[in-house]
Amino acid sequence: MSPETAAPAKMHLKTTVNGRPVSLQIEPRAILLDILRDDLGLTGAKRSCDTQVCGACTVLLDGSPMSACCTLAYEAGGREVETIEGLAGPHGLHPIQQAFVDRVAIQCGFCTPGFVLATKAMLAEYPRPTRSEIEDFLGGNLCRCTGYWNILDAVAVAAGRLESANGRSEAS
Amino acid sequence: MSAIAAAPPLLTAIGHDAPRIDAIAKVTGEAQFAGDLRLHGMAYGRLLRSPYARARITDIDTSRAEALPGVIAVMTGRDLPAADPYYGHALKDRPILAIDHVRFVGEPVIAVAAESPAIADEAIALIDVACEELPAVVTIEAALAPDAPHLHDVVNLRPGLFHGLGDIHLEPGNVCYHHTFTRGEVAQAFAAADVVVEGQYTFPAVYQYSLEPHTTIAQWIGDDDLTVWSSCQHPFLVRAELADLYALPVAAVRVVVPYLGGGFGSKSYTKMEPITSALARKTGRPVRIANSVDEAMVTTRRHGMKAWLRTAATSDGRLLAREVRAWFDTGAYADNGPRVVATGADAAPGPYHWEAVQVDAWGVYTNTSPAGSYRAFGASHLQWCGELQVDEIARRCGLDALQIRERNLLHRGESVRPGGKPLDADLIGDIRRVSAGLDWETPKPAGIVGRGMSVGLLAAGAHPVSTAIVRMEADGGATLLVSSTEVGQGARTVFGQIVAEELALPLEKVRVLGGDTGVTPYDRSTGASRSTTIAGLAVLRAAADIRSQLLAIGSRVFDLPQEALTARAAAVWHEGESVPYPDLIKAHFGMVGGELIGHGEVRPERGSGSYAEGPVFWEVCIGGAEVTVDAETGRVTVNKAVSVADVGKALNPRLVEAQEMGGAMQGIGNALHEEMLFDETGTLLNATLFEYHVPSIADMPDTFVSNIVENADGPGPYGAKGVGEGALAGVAAAIATALADAGVPIDTLPATPERVWRALEAREVGTVNEGEARR
Amino acid sequence: MLAHFGPDAAVYAGGTELLIVMKERLAHFPHLIDIKRIPGLNEIAFDPERRELSIGAVATHRDVERSPVVRERFPALGKMEAAVANIRVRSAGTIGGNLCFAEPHSDPATLLTALDAHLTLTSASGSHQLPMASFITGLMETARHHEEILVTIKVPEPASNAGVAYERFKLHERPTAAVAAVIVVDCGAITAAQVVAGSVGERPQRLLETEAILRGQPAGPEMATVAADVIRDEVETSGDVFESEAYTRQLAHTVGRRAIAAAIQRATGEEDGRRVA
Repeated sequence: MSPETAAPAKMHLKTTVNGRPVSLQIEPRAILLDILRDDLGLTGAKRSCDTQVCGACTVLLDGSPMSACCTLAYEAGGREVETIEGLAGPHGLHPIQQAFVDRVAIQCGFCTPGFVLATKAMLAEYPRPTRSEIEDFLGGNLCRCTGYWNILDAVAVAAGRLESANGRSEAS
Repeated sequence: MSAIAAAPPLLTAIGHDAPRIDAIAKVTGEAQFAGDLRLHGMAYGRLLRSPYARARITDIDTSRAEALPGVIAVMTGRDLPAADPYYGHALKDRPILAIDHVRFVGEPVIAVAAESPAIADEAIALIDVACEELPAVVTIEAALAPDAPHLHDVVNLRPGLFHGLGDIHLEPGNVCYHHTFTRGEVAQAFAAADVVVEGQYTFPAVYQYSLEPHTTIAQWIGDDDLTVWSSCQHPFLVRAELADLYALPVAAVRVVVPYLGGGFGSKSYTKMEPITSALARKTGRPVRIANSVDEAMVTTRRHGMKAWLRTAATSDGRLLAREVRAWFDTGAYADNGPRVVATGADAAPGPYHWEAVQVDAWGVYTNTSPAGSYRAFGASHLQWCGELQVDEIARRCGLDALQIRERNLLHRGESVRPGGKPLDADLIGDIRRVSAGLDWETPKPAGIVGRGMSVGLLAAGAHPVSTAIVRMEADGGATLLVSSTEVGQGARTVFGQIVAEELALPLEKVRVLGGDTGVTPYDRSTGASRSTTIAGLAVLRAAADIRSQLLAIGSRVFDLPQEALTARAAAVWHEGESVPYPDLIKAHFGMVGGELIGHGEVRPERGSGSYAEGPVFWEVCIGGAEVTVDAETGRVTVNKAVSVADVGKALNPRLVEAQEMGGAMQGIGNALHEEMLFDETGTLLNATLFEYHVPSIADMPDTFVSNIVENADGPGPYGAKGVGEGALAGVAAAIATALADAGVPIDTLPATPERVWRALEAREVGTVNEGEARR
Repeated sequence: MLAHFGPDAAVYAGGTELLIVMKERLAHFPHLIDIKRIPGLNEIAFDPERRELSIGAVATHRDVERSPVVRERFPALGKMEAAVANIRVRSAGTIGGNLCFAEPHSDPATLLTALDAHLTLTSASGSHQLPMASFITGLMETARHHEEILVTIKVPEPASNAGVAYERFKLHERPTAAVAAVIVVDCGAITAAQVVAGSVGERPQRLLETEAILRGQPAGPEMATVAADVIRDEVETSGDVFESEAYTRQLAHTVGRRAIAAAIQRATGEEDGRRVA
């Protein structure tokens, strides 16, 4: 048996995914994307380029966008993982999701979860992003269907809605 | 009786920006793509792919792989569980796995099924394949050389199930198809010409790159029952091909298409289904094979092309004649190559009044990965070449790009090709919209700036065969069954709108089921911009069938003739009185239950619907672009892109616009960024997104102007024609012409920064091409 | 641990480059030693007495980009970090990992060489410092011994009359040409120049001839053009299947001119009327 197939002892992963505690035995070499998709059934994060270029596998780790395809599941230990499945709540879609729907920013949908999560991280840091900031933050998410115009539109609408929502909650 | 024609009915669902019915599933991550499915007991397949472009397999030793724990089956070309292991859309030249010979770097040679992808990967590394490497031909020139080795015995190749292009008469060699036509007296026209422009052009192999790579799951029940879940665009064509491979009745094969993560032609026809189904049969368990992106890049691509064109005109800018010779590199297997060649040949003249045209186009086999469909094939290949020449003639005759086109474009109703459908669009109106979008009359901004426009035609619609079923449930809701694939274009939403319109139902009461050959009825394919026009027409007819059944029931219920009744607001009405659909259905069946079934069918209106008799409609491939060139680096910035969607009727305007935006971006990629580079060994050098540039937000044009033209001149529902491909070819060609306008002579795409820089350098040093533009 | 496992172990921080080569089976390490949890290894601080920025090796590109002290005192460094790869790589990837991986297209390596950064390497047997210029020794090779880890990157604050600029040309995912320039101007003359080319060869290159041409010359945009012509010939290219040598040199020339012009402008205080480093 080659050294590569000798399975190392499993390790215990304790993490939080979409606000819920998760406890799993994983191989140390397990990739976060596979754990999410195969072990936890969270198939919203997709495998496309598998090399961190396209962003289809974007998840948030403690609020920061990461390529789950090139992140060891081990990295999630003790941290908060957020996937697309965690965004909508009992009151409906997250404002960013709703903006993507309203502005026809979705076509085949394969890139959508990655874009939505990257947008969430971006708006947390830049509530009113300039075009340059959007390019820096979202330039690493690829879409082949939309030509990006409606995605930029959705981002602007989402930013506006989140700002008003925050304004309202601050005022009340 | 009033002489005024009755006003067209007020459309309540059509022409509105109805929200996509799949948007919520996609934005929440719930939408399932093929790779998201899990079957009980599913095994994972991986492929050992050839490192050689051409070789004879001399020995295979799979013993170490078979001994690896967790490996379930290993399959080679010598033990394929198929009645006939050869398949292919146009020509049956493709074995499921390489049999004795490999023909391109990346060709699958061995398939392994294992309990996990990691084990399958390990097993692949344990397989030894000995090959005698043979001289390969990896370029068109090499493949056409007199002493070139032949990839196939072309003379004896059997036609594929879907060839559709008439008899093939081939000479031994590497040509898989030759399309030629002549109209008028070409030599005479050139002899009489005042202006002749001639050039050679190179067009790259491009990778479609849909975000989702090919993913297929196959499951057998016994030996006679096969179900395949696959990321494929044409489930019925795949079904027929698989049934043929295994000598099964078509109904024994079920092809299910979950949501598709983009296609653009990369998932047209049969791709990974034969190999996955064969491996599943060998394994006795469901098997999934998922391509990585670098594998997907050697599974299909756009045809690279070399062309020679010359165009003749009079000194006052009247076009006389065009002569074209084009060679399409179809790779090691033909796939859709013949159709691409034919479509390209048809697109080559361009939509102009010609006295004479001579076109010869060849599909050439090379030892590189197989080429197939990609959005706007044919037009993307040749439109830019012809349009560059039209602009050059304009320059020499003292006309601008708009003027020469106004002078020479075909008018509605005129013949595009003899025996085929006459022109069904107002091209001059369309091109004027492009020029308006470019602010044609205003001075250009400072810098090295060019403006260009381009118009061409694409034979669209493919084969017009489609069926649809509408089921009206006892509660008055409607379920539509249609097999057009939802590739992202929004077809399902538009179909829902058609049903809602025809049955006077709110959109929320219409459900659309798709993409399962066991459930939804036959639709030939999703591509060639045909979903709205052809499948949509079948949907409309199925809904109309339901409506006439409802009116017939209403007639009995009201005891009035049908002509006195209308369907409106989910009920049948006579003057102020109405009976809602559920009550009609209850009256019909005598209980709360039962359902009405409506059937819609589309088939060729003239003749057999063959390629020569068509097309169903001419898709207008049109675009405009303004570019700025950085002379130091050669980088091209697209200041503005303009699209015109000449669609007859926009059933959902925002979805039309979205198609144009996406198509334009792919056109920008094709024109400026994307190129697959094969080295002399036939190896793809840039098989990852690190070196193959897919446009990002940073590559967007600064401004995008989109136009929708609705002249109700299409054969589809409400006068619709298809959309989806025109912007790619149109904008790519417009960028080429814009660069020429900026003083950058372009004869090779993509116009990478290096090529543009070299073109500018050559111009400065004085090695000027004839008829250069002056700034 | 590194000493114990020998070549079977690799230092692991962000893993953004390491995991890719492991997945592609170009490298194999049965053991990865995660150094992110070592306290203090990601700290960024400015020592006002030594006038020196200290960056912990495990600081991510985003940490560096967003650090207030970097934004205030080393804006060119912050700007360069903000443009590395994409947001996800910047969130996970560390500046130390980037330097140790020594990919020829590395942005930090080029600029840090021009800024005269010093690297502190530590092993079980002690620590030592190395100038950045000596750290990368070849194509993806560094002077780090296997048992050492990079712990700190120290960047001296440029003089108040120095201008710093980093310009690059990027077509695909990685830049294909980059030039970092640090130009010191005194009484309208260039008194010192550090010009480093990156992404065109196997590793960052100090362009000594270019620097020599600049020294003593009047500080104006025309010097940038003169220097750029020298860059075109001086730079060593390592060949690329995707672009010709002539074009690579043209790019080096162009980004070089732009970087030097920007650095001169900043040195003479012409940008925003204040010193920009």
